[in-house]
Amino acid sequence: MTCAAELGGVSHRHAGGTKKALCGIDLCVESGAVLALIGPSGAGKSTLLSLLGAQIFGWQGKASVLGKPLDPQRPPARAQRVETGFIFQDFALIGRATVRQNVLNGRLGRTAKLASLFGRFSEADEAAADVALADAGIADLARQRTDRISGGQRQRVAIARCLAQEPQLILADEPVSNLDPVRAEAILRLISSTAAARGATVIFTSHQPELALRFASRVVGLKGGRIALDTDPGALSPADIATLYQGDPAAQNLLKAG
Amino acid sequence: MRSLWPSLLIAAAVLWAGSTTEVDLARLAASGVRMGDFLSRMMPPDLTIMPELGKGLAETLRIAILGTLGAVVLSAGLGVMAAETVVGPLIWRPTRALLALIRAIPLILVAMLMVAAVGLGPLPGALAITFHATGMLGKFYAEAIDGVERGPVLALEGTGATRLQRLRFGIWPQMAPVVLRDTIFRFELNLRESLILGIVGAGGIGFYIQTYVRSFQYEKAATVTLAIAALVLLIEALNGILRRRVS
Repeated sequence: MTCAAELGGVSHRHAGGTKKALCGIDLCVESGAVLALIGPSGAGKSTLLSLLGAQIFGWQGKASVLGKPLDPQRPPARAQRVETGFIFQDFALIGRATVRQNVLNGRLGRTAKLASLFGRFSEADEAAADVALADAGIADLARQRTDRISGGQRQRVAIARCLAQEPQLILADEPVSNLDPVRAEAILRLISSTAAARGATVIFTSHQPELALRFASRVVGLKGGRIALDTDPGALSPADIATLYQGDPAAQNLLKAG
Repeated sequence: MRSLWPSLLIAAAVLWAGSTTEVDLARLAASGVRMGDFLSRMMPPDLTIMPELGKGLAETLRIAILGTLGAVVLSAGLGVMAAETVVGPLIWRPTRALLALIRAIPLILVAMLMVAAVGLGPLPGALAITFHATGMLGKFYAEAIDGVERGPVLALEGTGATRLQRLRFGIWPQMAPVVLRDTIFRFELNLRESLILGIVGAGGIGFYIQTYVRSFQYEKAATVTLAIAALVLLIEALNGILRRRVS
């Protein structure tokens, strides 16, 4: 079994933070897995994802993505970055650009560097963007300015950008938090089926354990920066979830709803 | 009693300024008559010089356009070098200090130095505008770069975008409206300020003000004043429309 993402004794403390956001995490996410990261707020889910996405630095331990080690001090080279797609919780889109341009931006790592500076993308790039727009159900918004559409629509733009990038590892931070339950399910199905078709691996965080269970092939629960549970979704009991979220008042409603 | 100090200071400054013998109320009253005489000699404005004035105004406009263009080019480079989020403090601190120094030198002084350096005409005028405007525009551009949201730019880095691609697709779309607005604003200032450049021999309409006032041709000086006021109002209106379209 090869690990699409591997962590060995990884710890991290945010600048100015008193507590460690991650404490000695050991984890191997096998290739092709759909891993759900669950846990109460502040458990370290986003930190773990950002670390694998090479967005935070200064951590300790060993980490590698798609077989290549991550440097704890600087982002990886272009060829390596393009294989890791990230769906941001706050979308991180260019508001003044069109929806289509934002999705095309997902191709920047694959397109010809010089031509792109003049706004030229190859036919393959254009086609990938169109497929991603259609898959995310936002083809009709393509020509709209991104700051003129709703939050749920922007979330789908962020997802489409990641799909257009065609990465081998998809890191998704709360990818469906702004969507209604029906759409959330459709999007998670889209992400996992696209990944399966390409043999890609998915790691996503979620505040909705019941959704996580439905689409994940493996569930990892974080609490206080440590791995508190690591199991098959079928083997996860409501009691396990209750223990994981114990002491997090914000989660009580979610549990009831689930 | 500390709150009294500002009032006392202001009162002292006004008293000190008025205490000179050169400025007294009697003289102010007497000058009213002279002022009236002066104004009457400006009437009616001599409109026969309009064609010549047109040339002067066109030259001023050219100086403002070329000067702004020069400042935009210089500021693009210096703006990046003064941006805290792009380069290290070893580069942006001295660049910002340089821009502040440039801003501190009044335009008319720069123009006199440029005339001394390259001779009379519109060239020293355009050079002076370029130099002077870069002090402000470079700072504005740096602030536009620093005001860009980092999240979307980091996201592009994550997709594998190169530094130039991030500049083109992440930073530029976010800063473009600010840059455009600042540049239009600076062009308006450049045009206003370049009107007086001719007084020190740096080209444009200012030359005529100088000539007509010195040779006591006040009805012609009045025409120049009216023409300048009309041009400034026109440009202000145009800029208002442009700025609304940008935002």
